[in-house]
Amino acid sequence: MRSREAGALAVEGRVREHSAAAVAGKYWAVFRTQLLNSLAYPIDLLGRSLLIVLFMWIFMNLWRVTYGATGESSIAGLTLADTMWYLMMAEAVMLSKHDLSETFSEQVKDGSVAYLLNKPFNFILYHFAAGLGDSLLAFAGNLLIGSAVVWLMVGPPPGIAGWIFAGAAVVLSWLLDFCFSALIGLSAFVVEETNAFRWIYQKFLLLLGGVLIPLDFFPTWLQTISLNLPFAWIIYGPARLFVEPSLTRLGHVFLQQCIWLAVVGGIVWVIYRRAVARLVINGG
Amino acid sequence: MPAISVRNLRKTFQMKRKAAGLRGSLRALWRPSYQSIEAVRGLSFEMEDGELLGFIGPNGAGKSTTIKILTGILHPSGGEATVLGHVPWQQRQDLAFQIGSVFGQRPQLWYHLPAVDTFYLFGKIYEIDDSSLQRRISFLAEAFEIEELLETPVRKLSLGQRMRCEVAASLLHRPRVLLLDEPSIGLDVVAKQRLRMTIQRMNELEGVGVLLTSHDAGDIETLCRRVIIVNHGEIVYRDKVSSLKRRYLTVKTVDVRYNEQLAPDFSLPGVEMVKVGRYGAKMRFDTRVTPVEPVISGLAAAGSLADVTVSEPSLEDVISAIYARTEA
Ligand SMILES: Nc1ncnc2c1ncn2[C@@H]1O[C@H](COP(=O)(O)OP(=O)(O)OP(=O)(O)O)[C@@H](O)[C@H]1O
Ligand SMILES: [Mg+2]
Repeated sequence: MRSREAGALAVEGRVREHSAAAVAGKYWAVFRTQLLNSLAYPIDLLGRSLLIVLFMWIFMNLWRVTYGATGESSIAGLTLADTMWYLMMAEAVMLSKHDLSETFSEQVKDGSVAYLLNKPFNFILYHFAAGLGDSLLAFAGNLLIGSAVVWLMVGPPPGIAGWIFAGAAVVLSWLLDFCFSALIGLSAFVVEETNAFRWIYQKFLLLLGGVLIPLDFFPTWLQTISLNLPFAWIIYGPARLFVEPSLTRLGHVFLQQCIWLAVVGGIVWVIYRRAVARLVINGG
Repeated sequence: MPAISVRNLRKTFQMKRKAAGLRGSLRALWRPSYQSIEAVRGLSFEMEDGELLGFIGPNGAGKSTTIKILTGILHPSGGEATVLGHVPWQQRQDLAFQIGSVFGQRPQLWYHLPAVDTFYLFGKIYEIDDSSLQRRISFLAEAFEIEELLETPVRKLSLGQRMRCEVAASLLHRPRVLLLDEPSIGLDVVAKQRLRMTIQRMNELEGVGVLLTSHDAGDIETLCRRVIIVNHGEIVYRDKVSSLKRRYLTVKTVDVRYNEQLAPDFSLPGVEMVKVGRYGAKMRFDTRVTPVEPVISGLAAAGSLADVTVSEPSLEDVISAIYARTEA
């Protein structure tokens, strides 16, 4: 149906075949444009990254005391330096993820969602590409400033493998986090207020995702619960991989991330299809 | 085949009603009550390929709702519509390649970036190859006189400049049909005129059909041959702009001044006296009821004329008269 009919009506001289390259090119362009947009305000960008300094300073004081009190050089297999580098990565991910749920619900509520739906791209993928553009810069800034600070505090970072493995896992983290944001954002089609969901999600990430404390320090039962929930694989997964970059761990993190991506992503897709089918655009 | 064909289109919004305060909020959560708003009630019309069709109506008439349905971003509650052979809400993405849209109240250009960046983005989104895109941008930049503006961040452009860039952006992919929802909103007279001229030129050059909504009768008068007037979601008038004028511009207003004092009981048969002063008068009559000739000779007979002005109602007045009639 689609290409035959569209083709017949298409303007002469332009064949529309929707090649994979053209489709990928769209989202790449969205990503690029968002990068340019974020770069339009370098001071803002820097400001966002300064927050990590404060976090690392608090964590350093907290954990130095804790390690001092136990008298051990390592807790649950992590030295103070490991813990600090873990937290740096965890915070870098946490502070760079782009909260799309807010953008989403705003756009659903004020109707601007419509003005993205009248273009030939997928609304969800558009937002993901744009969000990635935004996250990448923030992440780079956080890493740069965060590493400098932590290096001064506890010495050199993990080896190159840690950076590469964690970097790869972080991309999947953003994807997974994006799916949750999309889910929260899409709920704006049904309920007026999405803040409650956002709040709950944030708290799950903070407590069970490993933002404030490596999950290894939890009692076994809580560890089991956390590791069987998706939140750990957004933050803990890549951060732990960063300080212990083994191939086994990498495989495990990827596997967990992919499973949860399939589950949550699938739900988002189904809901999105249904939401669009009964779309009501506000105002104007 | 018409470019746009709409049959008995309807859209009813369900709006959650909520009483004020916390108690109201809680009650609405528990048992939401809905209020339906019939934004569009059984519209039917057609637009030919390459036609410039005006769509006007007061606030809340359902113009934007209709345009949104036609772009496929809103599902109607009933009725049928096809745009270039597509059912918009079922084939939104395919259709998107062939239509362009501008919503005057919702800019599409990235605010902090130069317009040309959005142009390149749209080029990718519409899957236009790089060299064609380059040529297209230069062509549109010239047609819309925006060559000097393309590299400036959009936030630094004036509203009129920005709107020309918006419309140019919507034409990058050579759409067959352009849907413009209040493109002239907020523009001054000169900027409006400039925008109208470019829209007209693109219509002549590329034969792009334009469905245009506006509050400004001038937009319709200068651009469109045909006009549809809607009120409360229904079509209250549809015809050529020229016959609209012919049919409704029959009421003349006459201002006269005399060199001598007028009789205090001055009047003419079939003419409504709006105001009678000592040296002049203002009156109104409908040429379909009272012919022009006896009125003029009556005026000449009443004394030594110093000055006469005969004026017609503006299209604006005509349209308000049509609205008023449909309110009754
Ligand atoms: N999402 C929505 N939910 C509820 N009611 C809506 C919604 N969108 C529009 N309406 C209502 O539908 C009616 C028609 O609105 P629409 O925006 O189509 O009017 P319009 O002719 O474009 O008016 P304007 O000239 O002010 O732009 C209005 O009464 C409006 O309040
Ligand atoms: Mg409107």
